[in-house]
Amino acid sequence: MTQYTDLQLDALRELANVGSGTASTALSSMLGRSVDISVPHAYVLPMADAVAEVGDPEADATGVVLGVVGDMGASVLLLFSPSDAAQMCALLGVEAGTEIGDSALMEIGNIMGASYLTALGMMTGMALEPTPPAAATDMLAAIVETVLAERAGAGDIALLLDSQLAVEGSDASVSFLLVPDAGGVDQLLARLGL
Amino acid sequence: MVRMGELAASAVAGDVLVSLGLGSCIGLAVLDRRVGVAGLAHVVLPDSGGHGPQRSYKFADVAVPELIDRVVAHGGRRPLLDAVLVGGASMFAVTSAALEVGQRNEAAVRDQLAKAGVPVRAAETGGGRGRTIRVHVGASRITVREAGGVEREMQ
Repeated sequence: MTQYTDLQLDALRELANVGSGTASTALSSMLGRSVDISVPHAYVLPMADAVAEVGDPEADATGVVLGVVGDMGASVLLLFSPSDAAQMCALLGVEAGTEIGDSALMEIGNIMGASYLTALGMMTGMALEPTPPAAATDMLAAIVETVLAERAGAGDIALLLDSQLAVEGSDASVSFLLVPDAGGVDQLLARLGL
Repeated sequence: MVRMGELAASAVAGDVLVSLGLGSCIGLAVLDRRVGVAGLAHVVLPDSGGHGPQRSYKFADVAVPELIDRVVAHGGRRPLLDAVLVGGASMFAVTSAALEVGQRNEAAVRDQLAKAGVPVRAAETGGGRGRTIRVHVGASRITVREAGGVEREMQ
């Protein structure tokens, strides 16, 4: 199994930190409320372990996924629990579980994903562009494994950069994950000279 | 528990082999119903493209022959095996070819089963919902549950 040094993991966490900081500012201006971010986690795991790390495999969740194209292939995945989705939609004045609700969550994904990638691109000098979002409400594991499957390629290792964002004055939070292609992690680290 | 890219076989009556929340992945069960031997593989991608000698059961072309061998090693009789497929959904409603891994997985698994001469007895594949498969060893019962649904027996 590929091992990353503590220094490298710290650097990846720092990338996630700045990226999610920028994304939280974007979410905050969309919702008109301040948004708190937790210290991000960087998980480097065998793919089989990665799904369980994200949460209960059979729990209901809404996932919004954006592809990343450019210098590095990746997926950005936002995960909402049913109550997160309901509250986030309520803050935007729409009803969750409807077409317009999904489209509001996709817009959140779009705006947060784009700002996260812009920050990541500025720190690493990579050109990174998001592709249009797609949403699914399903079992958590089904959503996460589909994204992992698409990014896994020949590798058996998944890197998850996981940030939690919580909206102030409500219980709504969102889990924000960046899942790079198999070779993407090394590329990120190379850009940072690590 | 059979997680992404893993496989398992058992001849112990009462064992339950489970893959939770299959999205684009395929849960492939192979059974000899008479002797009560069963195996389950959690296939992630269609084709290893000959990537390395490492035995990664993620890929249909590696996992399917290996699963059949394991079931046979546990006492299953090759000519009497049948297969059940669950999963291969398109989770995200976009037309990007890259995301249609589900369909390609199903095609690759069926192809490998045909090569091995193992008939497909039942399948719950495609669509847009995640699924959980449970294989009850001994009783040779297979149940499937779709997201938001109840557990059903597969015939």
